This record gives sequence, C-alpha cells and structure tokens, in this order.
Amino acid sequence: MYKYPTIFFLLALSIWSCSKDEKPIVITPNDYNNAVDKVTEVIIHDIFSPPVASRIYAYSNIAAYEVLVQKNKDYKSLAGKLTDLKPAPQASADAPVNYDLAALIAQMEIAKTLIFSEDKITALRDSLYTSWEKQNPTELSASKEYGLKVADHIKSWMDGDMYKQTRTMPKFSVNPDNPSRWQPTPPAYMDGIEPHWMKIRPFVIDSASQFKPLPPPEFSMEKDSEFYKQLIEVYDVRNAMTSEGDDSEKIAIAQFWDCNPYVSTHKGHLMFATKKITPGGHWIGIVKIATQKTNSNLMETVHAYTKTSIALFDGFISCWDEKYRSNLIRPETLINQYIDDSWAPVLQTPPFPEYSSGHSVVSGAAAEVLTQIYGDDFSFEDDTEVAYGLPVRNFTSFRTASSEAAMSRLYGGIHYRAAIEEGLKQGRQIGDYIVKNLNLKTDTAQAAN
Amino acid sequence: MNKYIQALFLVFVLISCSREPELFTNPDIEKAGISFKNTLTPNEDMNILDYLYFYNGGGVAVGDINNDGLPDIYFSGNQVKNELYLNKGNLQFENITEQAGVAGTSDWNTSAIMGDVNGDGFLDIYVCAVVGLNGLDGHNELFINNGDNTFTESSEKYGLDLDTFSSSAAFLDYDLDGDLDIYILNHAVHTQNSFGKAELRYERNAQTGDRLMRNDGGSFTDVSEEAGIYGGINSYGLGIAVSDFNLDGYPDIYVGNDFHEDDYYYLNNGDGTFTEDLKSHFGHTSRFSMGSDVADLNHDGWPDLISLDMLSEDEHVLKSSEGDDNIQTQRLRTDKYGYHYQFTRNMLYINREGGNYQESGLLSGVAATDWSWSALFGDFNQDMEQDLFISNGIPKRPNDLDYIKFVSSEQIQNKISNTGLIDQKALEKMPSGKTHNYIFEGTSELVFKDRSSNWIANDTLASGATAYGDFDNDGDLDLITNNLNSSPTLYVNQTNNKGNYLKVRLKSNTANPFAIGAKAYVYAGGIKQLKELYTVRGFQASSEPILHFGFKDIEMIDSVRIIWPDRTTQLLTNIEVNQILLVQQANTRAFNYKTLLSKQRPLFLKVNDSTSLDFTHREDAYSDFDREKLIPYQVGDRGPAVAIGDLNGDGKDDIFFGGSKFIASQIFMQTDSSFVKSKIHTIQNDSINEEVAAVIADFNKNGANDLFTATAGGDFSNKSKPLLDALYLNNKSEFIRANLPQLFENTSVLAVHDYDADGDLDVFVGSQSITGSFGKLPTSYLLENKNGNFAIAQEFKELGMVTSAIWDDFDGDSKKDLIVTGEWMHPIFLKNTGDKLVKQDKIKGDLYGLWQSIIAFDIDHDGDTDYVLGNWGENSKFKASDEFPMLMYYSDFDANGQTETLVVTEKNESYYPLLGLDALASQLVSLRKKYSTYKSFAGQTIEEILSYNQLKSSKKLKVNTLKSGYLRNDSGSYTFVPFNRDFQVAPIMTFCKFDFDNDGADEILAAGNYFGVQPFHGRLDSFTGALIKDEKTIITGDKLGLDFAQKSIRHLNTILFQNRNYLIATPNNGKVQLYQIGKSIKN
Repeated sequence: MYKYPTIFFLLALSIWSCSKDEKPIVITPNDYNNAVDKVTEVIIHDIFSPPVASRIYAYSNIAAYEVLVQKNKDYKSLAGKLTDLKPAPQASADAPVNYDLAALIAQMEIAKTLIFSEDKITALRDSLYTSWEKQNPTELSASKEYGLKVADHIKSWMDGDMYKQTRTMPKFSVNPDNPSRWQPTPPAYMDGIEPHWMKIRPFVIDSASQFKPLPPPEFSMEKDSEFYKQLIEVYDVRNAMTSEGDDSEKIAIAQFWDCNPYVSTHKGHLMFATKKITPGGHWIGIVKIATQKTNSNLMETVHAYTKTSIALFDGFISCWDEKYRSNLIRPETLINQYIDDSWAPVLQTPPFPEYSSGHSVVSGAAAEVLTQIYGDDFSFEDDTEVAYGLPVRNFTSFRTASSEAAMSRLYGGIHYRAAIEEGLKQGRQIGDYIVKNLNLKTDTAQAAN
Repeated sequence: MNKYIQALFLVFVLISCSREPELFTNPDIEKAGISFKNTLTPNEDMNILDYLYFYNGGGVAVGDINNDGLPDIYFSGNQVKNELYLNKGNLQFENITEQAGVAGTSDWNTSAIMGDVNGDGFLDIYVCAVVGLNGLDGHNELFINNGDNTFTESSEKYGLDLDTFSSSAAFLDYDLDGDLDIYILNHAVHTQNSFGKAELRYERNAQTGDRLMRNDGGSFTDVSEEAGIYGGINSYGLGIAVSDFNLDGYPDIYVGNDFHEDDYYYLNNGDGTFTEDLKSHFGHTSRFSMGSDVADLNHDGWPDLISLDMLSEDEHVLKSSEGDDNIQTQRLRTDKYGYHYQFTRNMLYINREGGNYQESGLLSGVAATDWSWSALFGDFNQDMEQDLFISNGIPKRPNDLDYIKFVSSEQIQNKISNTGLIDQKALEKMPSGKTHNYIFEGTSELVFKDRSSNWIANDTLASGATAYGDFDNDGDLDLITNNLNSSPTLYVNQTNNKGNYLKVRLKSNTANPFAIGAKAYVYAGGIKQLKELYTVRGFQASSEPILHFGFKDIEMIDSVRIIWPDRTTQLLTNIEVNQILLVQQANTRAFNYKTLLSKQRPLFLKVNDSTSLDFTHREDAYSDFDREKLIPYQVGDRGPAVAIGDLNGDGKDDIFFGGSKFIASQIFMQTDSSFVKSKIHTIQNDSINEEVAAVIADFNKNGANDLFTATAGGDFSNKSKPLLDALYLNNKSEFIRANLPQLFENTSVLAVHDYDADGDLDVFVGSQSITGSFGKLPTSYLLENKNGNFAIAQEFKELGMVTSAIWDDFDGDSKKDLIVTGEWMHPIFLKNTGDKLVKQDKIKGDLYGLWQSIIAFDIDHDGDTDYVLGNWGENSKFKASDEFPMLMYYSDFDANGQTETLVVTEKNESYYPLLGLDALASQLVSLRKKYSTYKSFAGQTIEEILSYNQLKSSKKLKVNTLKSGYLRNDSGSYTFVPFNRDFQVAPIMTFCKFDFDNDGADEILAAGNYFGVQPFHGRLDSFTGALIKDEKTIITGDKLGLDFAQKSIRHLNTILFQNRNYLIATPNNGKVQLYQIGKSIKN
C-alpha cells in the first residue's frame, strides 16, 4: 500500500528531471575512494614498482585537489608550493562546472595517463560518464571540459619531472668485485629498479639529498663490527621466529607490511607471481580508513590523499637517493654467502639496494602528515591487506603503525636495523618538513578550527 | 543438390587435409592392437605445482623379448600400469602384460629401458620410478626375462631396487669387464629459490644424486663415489647419452641437467673412474637440458651430440614465453656461483676429435623445436645422412609470461598460500604447449632441413619418450612415441626400397651378448659411417639393439669394421645391402684405438712457460647494454690493442698491449731470454684510456720508434679526454705525448702508410661508434704527417661503423690505396690519387656485412691480390640474405632525446624485432601502453609495433650477408666467395699472413669468436682458428695445435724471439698465448 506513492514519486521525478531541470551530480567521498581503489588495482595489475606507484598516486590526487580548491575557500592551491607547479586554469565564468565532478574526472584522467592498462580505468570512467550523462549532461559536459583542462595543466607540469628521461637512462650496473655492494637477489635476480629515481623532481623537499640519513655502519665481516652484529641480528631474529612457529607475532607483522608488488615464485618450470599493494598503496589505504572514520567530506578526503601522497612521493625520492648512494648489499646475499647457504628471509628481498629502508622512510613521512591532519591519538583498524589474504591489525596512532611497518623489515629478514631506524628518522624528518612547509588550510579554515 | 555440393566439398577438404605424409604414416594404433594410454590424473598430491616433472611422461623400450626377429614394445606409464606388447608381425601387437607379469607396482614410473642384465641372451626390462616424493611409493623394477614371455621382478635380488627420484637409466659396460653396468639418472626437486653454488654437486644426496651401479655378476654395487660421479641436490638429470666420445675404447657419459645445474661430461679414465670435464670441452650448453642423442653426423668417425631445450621458433610462443637471462644474471650465475654458460635452445655439438665441441645448433637449423623431450638420430630416408626426429609438447606451458605476470596472481596466490595446491581452474588458464613433433632431413653440409610439414603428419600431442625399431621388418627405421593423455603414436617408415639399408645385429659370447658398446665403421661410396650400439637414446627410452645404416642407391658395401666392447675387432668386406647382417664375435684381433686419431701434425706448439710472456688482458665491467638496452652487440669490449716493434732501440721487437678502462696498458721488452714487463710512465699513466689499436713506428723520423694508440671503450662519451687518440714520441727512450687533432670517436683501427709519398708515415684513423648513439655513423679521418705533427687531411663523414682498414695497391698504379670495412658496411675501396682518397665501386652486388677484419692475400694463387674478409658468421640469432637483409632502425622513436636502435630479422617473410616486449619497453615505455599483454605483442611485426612514420623517419642500415669469405679479384673487379661452414660458426676477428709451414709461400691464419652479445644469442665461441693455404686448402685450428676455442682472439702477430718465429695470439679478457711456429718444431 504504502510503496505505491514512493514508486510514483520516483517515476514522476525521473520524468521531470529528464525533461526539465537537471539535478546536480553529487560526488561523494566514497566515489573518490572508489576511484583511488581503482588506481591501486591497476597499479597492482601493471606491476609498478613502489617509487613509480607513488608518482601515480601523487599526480592523480594533486589534479583532483587543484580542481577542488578552485571553489573551496578552506584550502589553498598547491601552485607555488610544489616545485614548478603553476596555478591551474580557471573555468569560464558562465560554465556550469561541478567542481567535485571535475575533480574526479581530472583524477581519473591523470591516473589513466600514468598507468599502462588504460582499459581498466576507462571502464570505470565510462560507466560513470554514462550514469552522469543520464543525470545531468550539461553539468557533465562543463565539468568534463574543466576537469580535463586541469588535467592537461597537470600533465604539462608532470612532463618536466624527469620521469620520461629516467626511463632510458642506463640500467644499474652491478659491481661484482666489491663485497659490500648490492647484488641481485633470489629467486628472480632482477635488476636494481629505478636507479635514477633521485633525479625525479621532488614536490616539497629542496632536493633528493636534503634529508640524507647517516651512512650505514661501515661494511665489515669482522665479528665484532657493528655491521656484522646487525647482520647476525637479521639471521638470529629469523631463527628465533622459526622456533616460535607459525603463530609468531613477528611473522604476522612481517607479512602484514610486506607490500611487495611482485613476489615471484619458481617451482620448477612453473613460475608465478603474488602481487600486492606497494608500501605507498598501503598508506593510501590508511588514508581511506581515516577519512571514512572521520566522515570527512570530499575536500577533506582529497586533501588527505593528496598530502599523504606528496609525502610518499618525496619520501621515495629521498630514500632512493640514499639507496643508490650507499648501494649496500642485502642481508640475504651475505647470509647465504658467509653463514648459511640455505637461509631464506621470511619476505622475498625486493630488487634494490638495502639502505635505507623504503618502507620505513615512506611510512615515517606519511604518518607525520596524517598525524598533522587527524592527530596523534587516532586509533584505527587497518584492514588494507584483507584483500590480499592478510588479517586486520589495530593501531593506536599513525606513528605506531609506521614504527611497526619499519620494524617489520627486520622480521622479514630484508633489512638491517640501521636501515630501519635511520630510515624511519629520515621519513619523519621529511614528513615534518612537509607539515611545516605545506600548510594548505586557509586562515579562515584554521580560525574555524 | 545442395547436399551434394556440401558432400563434395567435405570430401575435397578431407582429401586436402589428409595428404599422406611422405616418409612416415601413422596407422590406427588401436587397430594395431595397442591400447596403452599414459593418462595423467592430477590430484591434490600430484600436479604440476607439487611435482615439477608432472608432465615429463612415461617411457618406451623397444626390443625383441622373445627373439623371434620382431621388435616388441614396452610402455611405462606415470600413474597407469606399464604394458608389454608382443609384435606378431604385419604391424599387429598383442598385449601380454598380465601373463608376462610386467605391469609394475610403483606409483609413478618414468623411463623404461631394455638390456640383457643377466647375459642369458634375452632382453630384460628396467623401469625407473619416482619414490618418496609426495607419498609416492615403489622402487625401480627389474623384470628378468624368463625366456618364455614371462618375467620375474628381481630388482631387490640384483640390488637395483632404488627408491629415489629416477628419471632414466642407461646400460653400459664402463669397466669393460664384459657385463652390463647401469647408470641411474636421478632428478633433483630442489625447490630452494636461489641457485645455490655449483659446489652443491659434490655433496651426495641419496634421492637426487645420480648413481653408477657396477655389475658384479648377479648383483650391482653402487660405485658412484669412487667412480667420481656427482650426486648433488642440484642435479636435475633428464638426459643421458653414452658414447665413446673421445674414441679411446671406454664409454663416456653425457648427462643433461635441467635448470641452472651444468650438464656433466664424464670422460672414462679407463681405470673404473670418470673425470667430469664439461667446461674445458664445451663452450656453452643448453640450459633446460632435456633429451639427447649421439651419432656421427659429418662422417669424420667421431660421435656428435645434440642436447634439447625448449626454445620455440614460433613468434607467438617465443615472444610470450620467458626467455634467456639478462647479462647480469648470467654473470652472477657464471662468475659468482660457478656455473657454466647455458642458453635456452637446442645445442648441436660437433665433435672435433674429442677436444672442443663446435656448437652449431643455430647454423645447422635445429636450435628451436619448442618444448622438446626426445631427439633421435637415424637415417630415416636411407640417403647416408643422419636425420633427426624430435618429440615435443607439454599440456600446459608454465613459462607463459602473461600467466606468470597477470593470470597467476589472481588464480594461484591464495590457493598456494593457503593450501599449497593449484586448482584445476588455475591450470586451465595456462596456455597449452602442444606443438607438432619435428623431423629434420640431414645433409652432408651439417645443415638440417625441417621436413616436419611433409615427412610426418602434423600432430597436436604432447609426445615424450620415443624409440626406434624396425617393427615391420622392412629394413627402415620406424618410431614409437609415448604420449601424454593419448595413445602412443606409431610412425611407420615408408622409405621401403627407395634407399638401400643394412641392419647389423651383433652377438657376443660374453655376459653382454647384445654387445652393447660395440662400434661399426662402415665404408661405402667413399663415405664413412659410424654407429655405436647404445640402446638408451633420446629421452626415458631405449631403442632396438641394432645398428642401422642407409646407403641410397649403393648396392655393395666396401667394408664393415666391427669394434667389440672388449677392444677387439673384425673386418667384413663386400657386404650386400638390404639385409640383416648377423655378426658373431669371432676371429677377432686387438684393435688399436690410436689409429682413429688424426694424422695431422700440429703446426703450432704452445709455450706454456708463463715467464716468457705473462700478459693477461682484463676487460672492465662496463656493459654497453646497460646504457643502450636495445643495441645488437657491444662496442665497449673490442680491445686490447697489440703493437710490435722495437721501443728501446736494442734491435729486438718489443710488445705493447693496450689496457681497458682504468687498467693500464703494458709493455714487454724483449731480452735474450724472455719478455720483461717494463714501465714507460708517460704511456702507462694514461691508464684511464682503453686502447684498442696501436702502432709502433718512427713517426717523427728521429730514428727511434714512437707509439700511436687509438682509444675507445664505448663508455666515455661526448668530448671526454680518454677518447682522444694518443701519440707518444720517443726521444732517447723518453716518451712524450705529442699533440694530435682531437678525435672523440670510439676508434677501432689505425692504418699507417705514407700515402702522399712525402717520406713520413700518415695514418688512417677508423672510427666504429659514437658513445650512446649506436647506429649513428661516426667520422673517420686521414691524418697527414708533417714532420711528426699530424693534421686532418681528409674527413670521411658517416663512413660507417669501421672495424678494419688496410693499405694495398688495388689498381696497380704503384700507390697503395685504402680498403675500409666494418659493421653494417659494404667494403669501401678508396683510391689513392697521391693527395687524396677517392671512393671507387669495385664489388659486384651488395655486400653489407658485420665485417670484422680484412687482409690482402692471393688466395687462388692466380697472381693478383684477393681480399679475405672476416664477418659475423651464421651461428647466432642474426639472419641475413639478399632477399631479406637484416635491418637496423636508428632514431629517437619516443622523442625523449635518447636514440634507440632496433634490429629486425625476417621470419616467414615478415620482419620481427629480435628482442621481446620487456626489453623493448625498457627503452620505449609507450609500448607498455600499446601492448598490455605479452600475447598481444607476440607475433607483431616491426611495422605493427612502430608506426609508419616512426619507421620512415628513422635511419635504416642493413646487412645482407653474415658469411665470412673472400673477394675474388677478377681483373680488378671483385666477387664475394663465402667460405665453408667451419668459418661461419663465429665472428672472424683477425687475420695474420706468414709462411707458417715454411713452404716458401705465405698462408693466412684466421682467429675469432666474440662474446659481447645478449644471452639469447648464446656465446659465439666455437671457432678454433684456421690456416688458409688457398681457397680449397683450409685447416682448422684444432688440428694445428691452436687453443682458440672459447677464447675471443683479437690479434694474431708474429715475432722473432731467440731467432725463432713465434705466434702471439691476444684474446680479449684473457691470457695471451705464445706459440712456437712449425718450422722451429722440426728442428
């Protein structure tokens, strides 16, 4: 009985909206989350390495952010704040631009440019276009035009970040004669990835080397040297975990934070890969959790994503600068060579030099930024890895999560302690620097707080 | 009416599809009475994920178990019971498994072989099993033939009931005590993800280590350890071949190991022990070694070998499958872990008198037959040349790149991490790897012609173990393959009377009545043929114990020499063809194996005393491929320079060796007793330079020799100082670096001559490349000497990627002219007019090659000068012809400021890049967007990969011949004449003219080999050098005492030392070799 009026109402509404005035298209924070999730999915599929993945997240989020700030008075544009970024073009005054919509369109456009499997992004985009077209073709058309205009603006900016040039720079040459130098690791013995990432233009930090960490302990296989002690610690920790068995908390921590986009397994001629999100992808997942938990609106959501991905981006540049400077050998190589030739770490060693730990740096940087936005006392259930077969873990703050992420590399058997501790320090310094130098809230918004 | 047409059409289609194959027909196997089928049932404990060799298939053994003259067949099944079929004649078989008691009890059988273990004249059957893996039960089984079509399983009694991971076994009498011993091939399941060191092979593992079992009369004793057989956890033994490879009368063993473990080459020491010595006899081997076979292919009386791998020739498969390693991984495996060079393709090893094998799989056309299991040589068409049958196919192709990178993650990951299993759905996503079997026709030039499309019917089966036998007793060799999940295939040979044959059956009175290990040398029509009686051949199989020979239309065989396993011999003469010759061991006399060795006397005697000339060139670690990932080969490894001349004015010639980047050059001063390393600081302080060419001569005419060095290295770029060539003027033994015009190209050659006849030496400086811009043609220069000061007299812009140049008067005007050649170049004749050099057209036809070397020599002794040219050879993945030249496109295809070089070759009349998607996209990232899967990229021609405009706007270079040969001088115009195949196995890098044999006339000595290529080419290491006396008389270096195989020789020089002539052979990245030359040996 009482259903009828509703149906009738909806029917009437739809006829009315099709024929007469169009209804504004509403973009929810969840729509944005979905678009970011799609980017994560394609990053996994296309197997982008962690630094490259951070670039995809960063530019696509920045594009959305730069659209949104055009109408939002609480937040400032990134123009002039990020290296070489100029103010975005304005929409023509009379165009009925829906900035929320344009932001999402700009995000998808940049993401599509940066990934390989475009069809996966366009499938999402086109289905959205179809439904928006039905809702309000005028608004869609104007917003699309503006969104793509800003995307073009971002594209020409990002074109100058040296990414294209670094693609064809020399491969990393392994130095086989120096025992302290990094060597490819089992099972795939891949080349060192992104040896020129330090040449990528950073966003906020002055240069790749601005937060250069202390050098790692001097390489030495003398038993009483600091380096050797740290090497043996990796070996001992693994053995202790093994004796604790499968229920070891440390194993759980190592696996939870593995974040290796491409774990290659060889079984005879059968090879296969286990693909997961990157360390940056994990923190992007935490952003989603935080924005949802705080019921952030679209602007706040995009802001959180943007600022976090800026921290991740600069974090990788800083870390990669150090990696190919110190060019340090992985514990697995040394343990196999000097201590136990059948030893294998819990996690697969990723294909680049050891020092400093990438996960530690970017987790440190991301946690500082998120702490600034949401506060230090922010507990959350981290279910980011559930889709990859891992359980939920609970954290009381972003900083405790980042500390655990860093320490997971020791449990995983892929880093020495120095890379973790110095890496976390390095990341926190970067995060802190971004917090201090990238204040995006306007005075009115701050006053309102 | 309509139906009529349809029916007609159908008939037409059927007829056209079922065109009878020309050589082998496949009768209905069930009508022949064979119902065996090796059906695989994957289950939770046994599947491709849990057992890496799940798809390797069963075995097949052929032999006459009841001595009725008809070969019978025994099949082993993995999970199904084994079956024995009695040959009833007329291609009818009867399953007598049950009454014979040979079904077997093991859970997982592999190989099946026949041999007379107890020496009673009846063939017994030995079946291998995988035991202990994933709960598999059982043991290897030995079915002793009771002589009445029944068998008694007696493995325990004989001590052969091994419960290991056996893949195959082979009978041989290794200690020549007259009974059959057995080598048991076990396979590793080493799941460790890291390679592990090669030394793992020294530590015995009970389940995976191979075993040598000595027959002690009624029982077998494991003598592996004392005999020197490796037994490590790394030995993925899949192939085994027994042969007297070095012709000393004792059987040797070749074991083919899968994955990174080296193959093993066991030479029998004759005292019950073996010496494994792969590395010194083989330059490189197949990587994923599977089956193998041995036969003398080139009629030189020495057994040659093939070892199979899994490379596909089909672009669609090739480009969507995991290929060879990159260079860094290869270096890691060889340098750090101690493994040998291994590459993913079939390898054909031509035996050079038991010394170094010449690997010519690519040159011979048998390198790529996809996922190959069994190789069997046999003269299937009876034309006196060995043909080759290769079985292949795998139900699922686990190295498919899309599967590895995109499909597996979603399909397998959870399954594996949770249960350790792979489910059926995940498997279904893996593409099929069932390819047709291959058959090749052998030719006298050691080139095999692919006859798969007309000699046999096209199949889509996974065929594994294969054996031959004359099932219909008509004289020609028939074949039987054991297939996965389908009935076996019987190939009935229809050669019949189109070619004559001889089948030899041997009978010995020893405990080895079938005379396993005997040899037969057969001479007919002026051609020698060798066969050895080893029945275990191919893969997991044994063939009929007969020796089969083809004779084309020859009716009478001059002689048959049987050499029995006990090193005695008997000679039979004037044997008629087309018969089964039964030879009973009788009236034998001792055979002297030394008579089989070459009578050629070595012309060179290597001086092993390292004190006399102790120089080792070390190439620096720079890899050109790190910078320019797509270039076809390196340019940074072309040193060292060698120059000979008297530097200290004592009348004796000294030697200058160039260094590589950051490694100083070295100078050796000749004294009365040796060559002494000495320092000339001005020269050696320029240690940063990589000198690739050098000349010692008196350039400033002060009576003392100076040194001119040319630098390259491929690493220094733009206007880096180390790229500048250098002139060191000798002023009373003080060397002072003089000024030269600033030439920043990577120089390759210096050619010195007073071209303007003004009394001083001028220099042609040939350039090979511009660092970072491979394909861009550098400028070469003619420098004119004016009182020791050099100035550019002539610039040759874009002359080409020059590698060599000589001055020689080619037009008879008494002025020496210049001939320049190089890579992607046509040899260029530059006439000397007295004040400049002018290009002239002298050669008939196109002659673009990857030329490495040139020398003037009247090769046909007709009084005019011919030019001998060293090219790349035809034993790599490069391919070039007049019709389909190899092409190189050079352009900045992606407009990012860095040029790319793309090399394409023809296949089925289309051009494809040699590199795969990963390699191309490492430089042209946009291809990742264009091709989101490997499947979409595979099979794409270059015109599809790049746009018309991209190709059109690029620079295009070509090569239309890769053959080495000579320019025959026909009254001043030149015609190219290629050399024989021995010259085409590797690049020829250098020549040296000298009267080596002291007969009053000069000869040419050639040397070469080159390793600066990507692993998918392999290693161009098989040229042993050659002495060219005239166009017909060419002797290869292995017969001359030269040790050039596996070395990349860059220079040959002669030097007078202690009043004797010596040859200096200088390799890249290796130790210099000093040889005393022939005439001194005679003293």
